[in-house]
Amino acid sequence: MALSIKQFKYKFLGSLPLILLFFISLNGNSIVDFELFSINLHYILVYYWILKKPNILGYGFIFLSGIISDVVFGFPLGINALTLLIIAGTAAYIRVVTVNINLINDWISFIPAIFIANFVYFISLYFSDYSIDYLYLFKNSIFTFAFYPILWGIFSMFLKFMD
Amino acid sequence: METSRDDVGIAIRSAFLKRGTQQRFSLLVLVLLSIAFIFIETIESKPLNYLRAFIKDSIYRGSLIVSSPSNGIRFIFDEAGEHINLYKEYNQLKQENEQLKNKISETDYLVLENTQLRRLIDEQIKFPEILVSSKVMLDKQSPYLNSFILNTGINAGIKNGMAALHGKNFIGRIVDVNFFSSRVLLISDLNSRIPVVIEPSGTHAILSGKGTDKASLEHFPENHKINEGDKVYTSGKEGIFSPGIPIGEVEFNNGKVETLFFSDLDQITYVNIVSANSKLNQ
Repeated sequence: MALSIKQFKYKFLGSLPLILLFFISLNGNSIVDFELFSINLHYILVYYWILKKPNILGYGFIFLSGIISDVVFGFPLGINALTLLIIAGTAAYIRVVTVNINLINDWISFIPAIFIANFVYFISLYFSDYSIDYLYLFKNSIFTFAFYPILWGIFSMFLKFMD
Repeated sequence: METSRDDVGIAIRSAFLKRGTQQRFSLLVLVLLSIAFIFIETIESKPLNYLRAFIKDSIYRGSLIVSSPSNGIRFIFDEAGEHINLYKEYNQLKQENEQLKNKISETDYLVLENTQLRRLIDEQIKFPEILVSSKVMLDKQSPYLNSFILNTGINAGIKNGMAALHGKNFIGRIVDVNFFSSRVLLISDLNSRIPVVIEPSGTHAILSGKGTDKASLEHFPENHKINEGDKVYTSGKEGIFSPGIPIGEVEFNNGKVETLFFSDLDQITYVNIVSANSKLNQ
């Protein structure tokens, strides 16, 4: 009985990151925009959970969430999906090659993840003939990187509670 | 060195090709699928358009449901704010009303004079026909694309390229039409380019969105006679919009000629969609 409650708790709490992933996509909150800075929650969420517990966010769901974001933001289908998968791919690669997992390692390896994802984003938008504010994208990348440790802490606490 | 290169190859293969536990797809397959989607977006065919319209309509409805709690909270805060500012607004409106009353007689005279002069030069006066009034269904205020979703689409006869008006003011154009929804690209967006005419000098220019509440005027002659406060209208040169739809007024900012919109693009609830092809001659 105790085991089944534990299993239920794990399953329920384990589905929350996935719910959050779809919620921010559908609600258009994947980029949290403040007066002076903005953060890409989508990137942090995908990167963290693929790095720590890859079975919680399936790649298929990440793809679907990206497609939803594309529709909600009015971009050609596939652009956000591709960038999120690049983030997931980088996180999966880091997971394979890293032995010692800690905040500093995660944080530093987040730099190439953001860089590659935004490069793909830029190329995709360029070929789709869409103009965006690239300075905004750059600032967004910087603040997403800067904000990572805060969400890392929150997610790690959640992960401890889950286990 | 060889070993290290092998290790990188193995790690990449492991990350992108292995499905892992509880993963139904490998990353590589999904990356290729995303790229295929991006390419398919450039293909225009009826079945694909129907499929796209169906997907987008479904996602918009889902988004509407998911955002309803946050919209509800925002609505409550807005309402509370409005109630708090009620007295201040009342006094402001009273003052504006007085000013408008004074202007009405002046405007009536100008309208009459304008109509008579137009008749005199035997000009066909064209009025855009309002096809449909739509409600803004989703306004996600994306940092990258200034646009919103309307609750009407093909079902109400909306087509790509039609002009969107807020009251009588031009605010954007339709860029994406689905069965029950459509997307308006606002004039403030970086991707928006509208041919305009600046009155009273009659100077033609292109109005380019900047992503802010002002747009810049470009491609006008060097020896222009544009003054601050001049009115900006659609020129109808591209053949899609009717000419003479008001957009905003000219403002000089550090030597740049900009346009301040007549409508506040953040405060739009209802939009009128018009087609340039539907013209009524007077």
